[in-house]
Amino acid sequence: MIPRSTYQRVLRLVGLLTVLVIIAFLVLPAAVVTIAAFNDKPILSFPPQTWSWRWFGRALAYEDFRQGFFNGLIVTAWSSTIALCVGGMFAFVIDRYKFPLKSAIEGILISPLVIPHFTVGLGFLILAAQVGLSRGFAVVVICHVILVLPFVLRSVYVSLRNLDQSYEYAAASLGAGPLRVLTTVTLPLLLPGLVSGWLFAAILSFNEFTASLFVTSQRTQTLPVAMYNYVREFADPSMAALSVMYIVGTAALIAFANAFLGLGKVLNIEQSH
Amino acid sequence: MKPSANVEGEQTAVHFDAVTKRFDDVVALNAVTLGVGRSEFVTLLGPSGCGKTTLLKLAAGFLGPDGGSISIEGKRMNDIPTYQRGIGMMFQNYALFPHMSVAENVAYGLKTRRVPRVERDKRVADALALVKLKGMENRKPRQLSGGQQQRVALARALVINPTVLLLDEPFSALDKSLRTSMQVELREIQRKLGLTTIFVTHDQGEALSMSDRVAVMSEGRIRQLGRPVDVYRSPADPFVASFVGDNNRLRGQLVSMQAKQAIVALGDALVKVSGESLSGLEKSAAVDLFVRPEQFSVVAPEEPCAIKGSVVAQIYQGGHVDLQIECAGERLLVRSPGEQAVLRWPMGAPVGIGIQADRCSAFPAA
Amino acid sequence: MNQQPFLRIFTAPATLCAIGFLAAMVAVLQYSLRAYVPGSLDPGGFTLANFADLLKPLYARVFLDTVVVCAMTAVVTLIVGYPLAYALVRVEQPVLRSILLVIVVTPLFLGEVVRTYAWIIVLGNNGFINSLLMSLGIIGKPLQLMFTPFGVVVALVHVTLPVMVIMLAAGLSHIDRDYSRAAESLGAGPIRVFLTVTLPLSLPGVVAGTTTAFAWTFSAFATPQLIGGGRVNMISNLVYQLGFSSFNFPFAATLCVAGLALTALVLGLLQLASRPLQKIEVH
Repeated sequence: MIPRSTYQRVLRLVGLLTVLVIIAFLVLPAAVVTIAAFNDKPILSFPPQTWSWRWFGRALAYEDFRQGFFNGLIVTAWSSTIALCVGGMFAFVIDRYKFPLKSAIEGILISPLVIPHFTVGLGFLILAAQVGLSRGFAVVVICHVILVLPFVLRSVYVSLRNLDQSYEYAAASLGAGPLRVLTTVTLPLLLPGLVSGWLFAAILSFNEFTASLFVTSQRTQTLPVAMYNYVREFADPSMAALSVMYIVGTAALIAFANAFLGLGKVLNIEQSH
Repeated sequence: MKPSANVEGEQTAVHFDAVTKRFDDVVALNAVTLGVGRSEFVTLLGPSGCGKTTLLKLAAGFLGPDGGSISIEGKRMNDIPTYQRGIGMMFQNYALFPHMSVAENVAYGLKTRRVPRVERDKRVADALALVKLKGMENRKPRQLSGGQQQRVALARALVINPTVLLLDEPFSALDKSLRTSMQVELREIQRKLGLTTIFVTHDQGEALSMSDRVAVMSEGRIRQLGRPVDVYRSPADPFVASFVGDNNRLRGQLVSMQAKQAIVALGDALVKVSGESLSGLEKSAAVDLFVRPEQFSVVAPEEPCAIKGSVVAQIYQGGHVDLQIECAGERLLVRSPGEQAVLRWPMGAPVGIGIQADRCSAFPAA
Repeated sequence: MNQQPFLRIFTAPATLCAIGFLAAMVAVLQYSLRAYVPGSLDPGGFTLANFADLLKPLYARVFLDTVVVCAMTAVVTLIVGYPLAYALVRVEQPVLRSILLVIVVTPLFLGEVVRTYAWIIVLGNNGFINSLLMSLGIIGKPLQLMFTPFGVVVALVHVTLPVMVIMLAAGLSHIDRDYSRAAESLGAGPIRVFLTVTLPLSLPGVVAGTTTAFAWTFSAFATPQLIGGGRVNMISNLVYQLGFSSFNFPFAATLCVAGLALTALVLGLLQLASRPLQKIEVH
C-alpha cells in the first residue's frame, strides 16, 4: 500500500464522491428510461403503479421500427465497409507517400468532423436533386460514408503509424513483392486497427441521425429517424422499451469491443507507464 | 586518407561507387565509395547520424541513391527493388512477423521464391538446426527469449542463401553476456557459409572483435577503412583516433621530421610517431598527440617521466584499473593492468606518467 | 524502380469521395446565392438577398442563442468532464477501469435521439425529477424544465460529455506519472501537484475537448428540437424548418453557410486564444 496522510485520504474521498455524482448524472437517463419502459400505463408517471413487458412487444412489432432497423443495417453495412476500404487505402498512402494535393484531399475528407451534420445532409440532398438521383439508399450510403470516413481514416492511420515498418522491409528482403508484402504482412498486422475502425464506423453510421433526417425518405428511413418521428407523435412507453433494448445492445457491443480490442488502446487513453 | 575501393586480391561482392544520399537539405552520404570482397565481413562503424544505416538501407534497396551506383556481384542495383536483390537482412528489433510461427517466419523467403513444399520443409529444418532451435518450430516469436528471437531472425535471413547478409545493429537489444556468445556464433556461421556480410554498429568493441575490415564513418563519409588492428593502431585522422577505443589528446610540439618518423616534444619528454600524418608541417608547429590509456605507465613521481600529476579518480574494472590523473588542469585516462594500482596509487597521490613512445599517433593541432 | 506501389489505385477512391463531398458543399454555397421561389422546389436566379435577410433580428437572435448555448455547454461539459477523465486515467484496478470505460463510452454510441428521449422523461412535467421532488414535498407544482435553455443545456452536456472525457483522458494519459511523482518528491501536496503540474500539462487536451464539444453542440439537432420545443431555437432547427416546412432551400443553405462561417470564426478564435497554451509540449 502507498502510505497516505489523513489529508490525502479526505481529498481522495471528496474526489471519489464527485466522480460518483458525475457517473450518476451519466447513467440517470438510462436508469429512468428503464423504469419508464416497464410502466404498464400508456402515460408517463413516476413511480409506475403497475409493471409490464408489453411495451417491448409493441416496440418490436411496430412496423416503422422494424423497417428502420433493417434499413439501418443495409446502410450501415454498406457505408462502413466502403468507408473502411476507401479510408484504409487512403490512410496507407498518406502514411507512406508525398503526392500532389495530398493535404487538400486529406483536409476535405477530415472536414466532416467540424461541419455540422445538418449542413452535410442538406448538401447531399441538394446535390442528389441536382444530378437527378432519387432519394434512395445510394444517397444515404454516400452521405454516411463521408460522415464516418474521418474516424476510419484516423483509426487506420494511427495503426499504420504504430506499425513498425521493419516488418515490411524484412518481407521485402526475403523476396516478397509489394502486393505480397501488403497481403501477408501489412494487412494481418493492421487487422485489429481495421476491425476497430470498421466497428467504430458501423456504430456511428447506425446511430447517425441529423444528416439522415435530410437524406432519407419514408422508404429509406433509418432507425434513429423512425424513433425521432415516433417521439414527435406518440408519448407511450414503446420508445422507452426500444431505448432500453438499444442501450443494452450498445453496452454489450462496447463491452465486447473492450474485451477483444482494448477500448483504451483504440481511444488512445492508456496511461503511459 | 581516401577510402580505398580495392579489396586485397579478392573479388568484389558489393560495390558502392560514389554513392550520395540527401534527405531534404541534409547530406546523409557524400560520395561514398566502398568495396566489400566476397566472403568478407565488413563493419560500418560510426556515431548515430553518420550515415552507416543509410548506406545499409541503400544496399538493401529500402532507399534509392541520389547519386552514384550500387552493385552486387557486378550487377547494378540502383533500379532493382529490394525483393529482387537476393539479400538477407537482420534487423535491430529482429522484425519477426508476430502473426507467424517460427517455422512460418523462416519459410517466408522460400515461399516467395516458390521453393517446393518438401524442399522448403527440409531447408527450414536445416536452418533451425544451424541456429540450434530445433523443436521451436511452432512457437510464436513473442514466446521466445531475446536470444532465441535473434537466432530465428538469423535462420530466416540465411535460409534463402543470400548473396549478401546485411546486419543492422542486431545485438543492441541483448544483454552483455549473451551478446558476446551470439557474436562468436554469428561469426562462426558466417565463416562456415562464406557469406559476404555488411554489419552496422555504433559499438566499437563489437566492430573490432568481429570484422575483417572496419569502415569508420562520420558525417556521411568513410574516414578510414582497414583491418581492426590498423584502425586501432594507426587511426587516419583525429576523429577515428578519438572514436575508436579510448584515447587521450595531448598538445605537443614538432621537434624534427625525417622521412617516415617525426619526433614530438611533450613537456620534457620526446615521443617518436609516424611522420606521414604530419607531412608538410613546419618545425616547432603545434601537434595533437593521441595516446591510448594502456600506452601510459604510472610511476612514482620522483622517477623519470613525461608528465607529472595526481590521481583524482579510480575506476576499478576487475582485470585492470583505470586511473584519472589530473595534469596541469587536464584529466588523463591511464590504464594499469592488474589490481595493485588501487592500493599503490591512492586518491590524491602524486604520480608520474611515462609514455610508451613508439605507438602513438599525431596530427596537426586542430 | 517503383518506389510508390499502390499510390494511384489507393488514392483514386478517396479522391472521388473528396470530390463528391466538395460538390455537396459547393451545392450548398450555390443555393445560398439563389432566390427563393415560393411554391417551387427549384431555386430562382442568383442574388445576395438571402445574406441580407440574415441581419433581420429574428435570425440574428437565433445565431446569438446558438453561440450562447454552445459556449455554455462546452464550459459545463469541461467542468463536469475533467474529474471523470482524471478518474478514468488514474483508476488502476482493471475491472473497475473497464466498467468506468463502458459507462463513459456507451452514451457516445447511443445516438442523439435515444438520449434526448431519455431526458424528456427525466425533465418532463410528469417526469422523474418533478415526480421525485413533488413526492418528497419539496415543490407543490411541477418545475418547468422542458422547453427551457436550462433543459437544453443539461441534455447537451450529457450528449457531449463522453467525447470530452475521452479527449481529456487522452491528454491526461500521455502525461508521464513521473512528473507528478517528481513534484511530490519536492514536497508539493496533492492540490499543488495538480495545479502546478497535471493541469498545465493537460491543457492541450482541454483545448481539444472544448473545441470538439463546441462543434458537436453546434451540430446538434434532436436535442434543441425536442427539448427546446420551438422555444429554444438553434441554427440546425431553423435550417430543417425552412427546408422541410416551407421548402425554402436557398435560405436554409444561406443559414448553413453562415453557420459554417460562425463555427470557423469561433474555433479560430479559440485556437488563437489557446496558442500560448499549445506551446506546452508534453514529452
